[in-house]
Amino acid sequence: MSEQTTNPVGKSVPRVDAYDKVTGAAAFTDDLQFGPGLLFGRAVRSPYPHALIKRLDVGPALELRGVKAVVTGADTPGFIGLYLKDRHIFCTDRVRYVGDPVAGVVAASEEIAEEAARRVVVEYEELPAVLDPLQAIQPDAPLLHPDLGSYDVVPFIFPQPGTNISNVFRVRKGDVEGAWAQCDAVVADTYRVPHIQHVPIEPHVAIARWDLSGEVTLWSSTQSPFAQRDLIAHTLGISQGDMRVIGNYIGGGFGSKAGVSMEALAVAMARQVPGRPVKVRMTREEEFYCCFVRQGLVARVKIGGTKEGRILALQVEYYWDAGAYTEYGVNITRAAGYSSTGPYNIPNVKTDSYCLYTNHPVGGPMRGFGMPEIHWSIEQSVDQLAEALAIDPVAFRQRNCVQGGDVIVTGMTMHPHGLSECIERVAQRIDWGKKEVPSAPHKRRGKGVAACWKAPAMPPNPGSEAWVRFNEDATVSVGVGGQELGQGAFTVAAQVAAEALGIPYEWVRIANPVDTKYSPYEWQTVASRITWSMGNAVKAAAEDARRQILEIVARYWDQDPGDLDIRGGEVVSSKSEQSLSLRNLVVYGLPLPDDQGWIGGPIIGRGKFMPTYVTGLDPETGQGARAVVHYTTGAQAAEVEVDLETGRVELLCIAAAYDVGKAINPEQVHAQLEGGVVQGASSALLEALTFQDGRPVNASFVDYRIMTAVDAPQRILTDFVEVPQDDGPWGARGVGEHPMIATAPAIANAIYDALGIRFNDLPLTAEKIYLALQGA
Amino acid sequence: MLARPGLVSFDYVRARTPGEVVQLLAEHGADARLMMGGTDLLVRIRDGAVRPRLVVDLKHLPGMRDILYQQQAGLTVGAAVTMNQLARHPAVVAHYPLLAQAANSVASYPLRNRATIGGNLCNASPCADTAPPSYVLAGRIVVHGSAGEQEVAIADFFRGPGQTVLQPGQFVTAIRFPPSPAAASGRYLKLGRNKAGDLAIVSVAVLGFPDASAPSGYRFRIALGAVAPVVLRVPAAEEWLAHHPPGAETFARAADLAAAAASPIDDVRASADYRRAMVRTLTRRGLNAVADTIAAPTGSA
Ligand SMILES: Cc1cc2nc3c(=O)[nH]c(=O)nc-3n(C[C@H](O)[C@H](O)[C@H](O)COP(=O)(O)OP(=O)(O)OC[C@H]3O[C@@H](n4cnc5c(N)ncnc54)[C@H](O)[C@@H]3O)c2cc1C
Repeated sequence: MSEQTTNPVGKSVPRVDAYDKVTGAAAFTDDLQFGPGLLFGRAVRSPYPHALIKRLDVGPALELRGVKAVVTGADTPGFIGLYLKDRHIFCTDRVRYVGDPVAGVVAASEEIAEEAARRVVVEYEELPAVLDPLQAIQPDAPLLHPDLGSYDVVPFIFPQPGTNISNVFRVRKGDVEGAWAQCDAVVADTYRVPHIQHVPIEPHVAIARWDLSGEVTLWSSTQSPFAQRDLIAHTLGISQGDMRVIGNYIGGGFGSKAGVSMEALAVAMARQVPGRPVKVRMTREEEFYCCFVRQGLVARVKIGGTKEGRILALQVEYYWDAGAYTEYGVNITRAAGYSSTGPYNIPNVKTDSYCLYTNHPVGGPMRGFGMPEIHWSIEQSVDQLAEALAIDPVAFRQRNCVQGGDVIVTGMTMHPHGLSECIERVAQRIDWGKKEVPSAPHKRRGKGVAACWKAPAMPPNPGSEAWVRFNEDATVSVGVGGQELGQGAFTVAAQVAAEALGIPYEWVRIANPVDTKYSPYEWQTVASRITWSMGNAVKAAAEDARRQILEIVARYWDQDPGDLDIRGGEVVSSKSEQSLSLRNLVVYGLPLPDDQGWIGGPIIGRGKFMPTYVTGLDPETGQGARAVVHYTTGAQAAEVEVDLETGRVELLCIAAAYDVGKAINPEQVHAQLEGGVVQGASSALLEALTFQDGRPVNASFVDYRIMTAVDAPQRILTDFVEVPQDDGPWGARGVGEHPMIATAPAIANAIYDALGIRFNDLPLTAEKIYLALQGA
Repeated sequence: MLARPGLVSFDYVRARTPGEVVQLLAEHGADARLMMGGTDLLVRIRDGAVRPRLVVDLKHLPGMRDILYQQQAGLTVGAAVTMNQLARHPAVVAHYPLLAQAANSVASYPLRNRATIGGNLCNASPCADTAPPSYVLAGRIVVHGSAGEQEVAIADFFRGPGQTVLQPGQFVTAIRFPPSPAAASGRYLKLGRNKAGDLAIVSVAVLGFPDASAPSGYRFRIALGAVAPVVLRVPAAEEWLAHHPPGAETFARAADLAAAAASPIDDVRASADYRRAMVRTLTRRGLNAVADTIAAPTGSA
C-alpha cells in the first residue's frame, strides 16, 4: 500500500490483475485442480452438415475400460437458447452442422473419452444442406427447423415458421421510393462477409459436478456466469438456487464465451456421474466450429444523395448466415436493422434484416455484434456515394453524421456525442488530403476513412448489481458479477468504488472469481456495457456504503451528515475540521460517549442499475421512442501501401478516435482501441473460415491466419473524446467492441484510394488484390 | 474427423547408436517412425495421419547436432541441427547465408528451437523451407542404413509430396554442402499469406556467381518451392541467364521462364494462378537482389 491514488477516476492506474497475470499466479479455469476424482468428457460430433440420426449405438463405447457414462439426446430432451430456444444440448433426431454434438462420453481420461467417442456408432441419413443465406431464404430451400413455430422465443424476436428465417427486423421510415427521384446520385452494391472466429488464446473449457445433494456447480471460462446459470438450469430442470457457476479469469472471449455454447455438454455429462467433476475442453480445431463463429453476411445496399451532399435515402437488405442455431444471431439481426443507417442522419430508410438458418456452425456474438459486418457495406457505400457526388469522403461524413438531438433511424432522439470531432481528429492524424509518395515504384499509397456507431444490443432490461464491503483496515472488497476478459473491467470497478467512497484506489480488492453463489448479479459481460452498467451499480453500492459511514460519524460527532465527506480514506468535517480514520469503525462501529454503548457496525453497501426506459419497436416499421440505451460513436482512418507485384497491403497507419463519454482509465481505453484495431485489421486482410460442402477446411492456425505483431499496422494512433453520457458513471459509456468496427472499411476505402478498385468481399487477401489488379 | 485432444499412446526409444536404429527399424518395420524435433511427426500422429507403435528419437545420436565447416570440404550439417542453430552458426552465416535465411524463415522462434533441417527434408513437404536452398547449394544427403553410409544428391532425394528415396531401415544423418562457388551470392524469398509464421505458398532460392565459362559471365541457379510435387530447378531460366547479360530485362525473361516451369495447384492456401504469378515476382526480385550483391566489389557469398 505504498502508492495512494486518491480520486482515481480519469487516471491510468495500473490494472488490479496485472501482478497476478504477469507472474502467472492468475488462475484460469483449466488450471483448477479437482484431484483424482476428475473425469473427462468428449463429444461425438456430426460429420455431416445436415442429416437425420437413424441409429445410435453407444454400446461399443461403454465396453471400453475407463468409460463411466455416455449421454445422448434422449437424456437432454429440453431446448436451450438465449432469445430463441432452438437447440438441444445433444441432438435428438437431426444434426445441422458439421460438429453438432450427438453424444458425450465420460471417462477416466481425455484419451479414453476420445477413443470411446470414436466407437459410438451413429448412422445418418444425409439431407440436402443449406450453405448460403441467399439459398436459405428461397421458398424451396430445405427446412432446417420444421418446428420453428413451436420454439419458445422472447417478444422482440420474430421467427417465421415454415421458413429458414429465425428473425426479421424491418425499418420503414420516410418514403424511400419517392426519394430516389430527388437524388442526384444513387449507388447500389452487394457486399459479403465470411464467417470468422474469435480465436481466444484460451479455448473453451468447462468442469461440471452434480452433487448428491442436488447442487450443480459449473466452472467455466465464461463471459456470462449468470446467463449460463439461468439457461442451463432452465433446460435441465435445476433450480437457479441450486445451480452455481464459477467464472475464473478468461483468456480472451471476444463474444465467443458469451451465453451458452459447449458448457451445457459438461453439465449434461456430469449428471450421469453424480459427485464426480467432469471436464470438457475444446481443442483448437473444435474452437473453430463447435462453439461460435461470427455470422456471415450478404448485404445489399442502395444509397442516394444530393449534390449539396445530403444522404436522402437508404435501402438495405441484410441476409445473415446465422448457422444451424441462433443463441444470439436473432438479436444481431435486430441490432443490424435498428443501426442500419450507420451513424448518419438519413430521412428515408427501408431495411430488411433476415436471420437465416444454414448448415454452417452456430453464429454467435463477436466483438461488434453485427456492426463490423454492416459497416463493411455502409462505410464503403458512403464512400461510393461521396465519389459519385464528387464530395470529399471526410466532408461528406461530417455533413451527414448524426448529431445530438437528431431523430435517428428508429425514431429515437440521439443523445449528445462527439462523432464529428472523432472524424476530424482521425483525418488530421493521417494528414487527410495529402498525397503521399510510395516507398517504391511498384507500390501505391492510399488513405481511407470510416465512421461507426454501436449501441449495446441486449434485452431492454439487463441488470447489474454490486456490493462494497469494508474490512477492518478500511480496505474494501467489491463484489461484481461482470467478468474480467482482459478488457480491464475489474480495474474500472475498483476505480469507480474508490472514487465514490473517497478512499485510495489501492485499498480496493475485487471479490473474484465471479461465483453466482456469492457474487452480485450481472446479466452478461457483453455489449460493451460493463463500464457503464456495472460501473453504475458499483458506484451506487459505494455511495450506499459511504452514506452509512457518514451517518454514523455524524451521529458520533453530533453533526449533519451533509457537512461530512470521505477524503483519502478519512471522514472529514467541513464544519468542525475534525477528521477520523475509517479503520476499525467500518467494522466495529463507534462507541457512544461515557461508555453508553456503540453505534454502526460492519459496513456493506449495495447498488444496482437497470435501464428502465428502452421501449419496444413496431415490428412493421422498426419505429419506437427509444430503441437502445445509447450509441458509442467513433471513426478510424487508414493509410496503406499496396505492393502491385504481390498484392500485399502494408498498414502504414491507423488512427482511431471514439467518444467514450468519460475515460475512467485512459491507458485502458488506448489499449482497447489498439487491440480492436489489430483485430479489425486481421479480419480485414486475413481471416475467413472456409468451407467445402459445409465442412470447414482451414480450422486450425495452419491455414486460418491471424495478424501477428509484424503484420499489425506500423503505427496505431488512438484518441478519445469525452461528451458525457447522461446515465453513465462520470459520463462513461462503453468502447469494448467499437475499435474493431471501422477498421475493415477504412482499410478498404484506403485501398480504393490507392488502386481505384473496390473490394466487396472480405478478407482483402494479397491474392485477391493481386488478381483484381491483373483484371483491372 | 476432428483431431484428437492429445496423442494416442506409443512407445518411445531414444536411440544411442546408429546400429540400434537399424536394429529397431528391422524389428518393427512400418510400425516404427523416426523422430527428431517431432514438429511434423507429432502433429501427424495427432491428426491420425500416421499411427506408429514405436517412435525412435534420433537426435541424440553422436554427431547429429554438429555443424562442421572446412574451406576445402565445405559444410556438413548434422541432420538434427535445429533451425535456430543453423541460422546463427558463424560459418553458415558467412559462407551459406542462403541457408541461414531459409532456416530463419521457418515458423516462429520457439518452433525453430525444435525443428531440424533433417526433419524438414525427410518430411518432404513441397513447401519445406530448407529444400530450395539445398538444391541451389548442391546439397547431398548422407543416408545411413544396414549397408553403411551413402550420399544422395538432393535432386535425387525427393520422389513426391511426403516421399523420399529412403528405403525401409535407412535414415539421414547429415546434409553436406560443397564449398560455394567463389563470390557467390544467394537469396531465399518466401511468400506466406502473412508476414510471419506461415508456410510458403511460393518460395524461391536464387544463387548467382561469376563464371568465365558462361557467355554472360555469370551463372545462376534457381529452385522453386511449393509450386510442384517436389522442388523444381528451372534449367530453361538458368540457361537464359548464362547467355544473356544480367539486367532487368534478362531477369524479367528468366522470371517468366520460371513461372512457366512451375506446376502449382489450387489449394486452401492459394490458387495456382496466384502461385504462378508469385513465382515470377519472387524470381525476378531474387535475381535482382543477387545481382546487386555479386556486383558489389566487397560482396562475398
Ligand atoms: C507451427 C508449425 C509451423 C511450421 N512452419 C514451417 C515453416 O514455416 N517452414 C517449414 O519448412 N516447415 C514448417 N513446419 C514443419 C516442421 O516444423 C519442419 O518441417 C521441421 O523442420 C521438421 O523437423 P523436425 O525435426 O521437427 O521433424 P520430425 O517431425 O521429427 O520429422 C519429420 C519427418 O521426418 C522423418 N524423419 C525424422 N528424422 C529422420 C531421419 N533422421 N531420417 C529419416 N527420416 C527422418 C520423420 O519420421 C517424419 O516423417 C512447421 C510446423 C509447425 C508445427
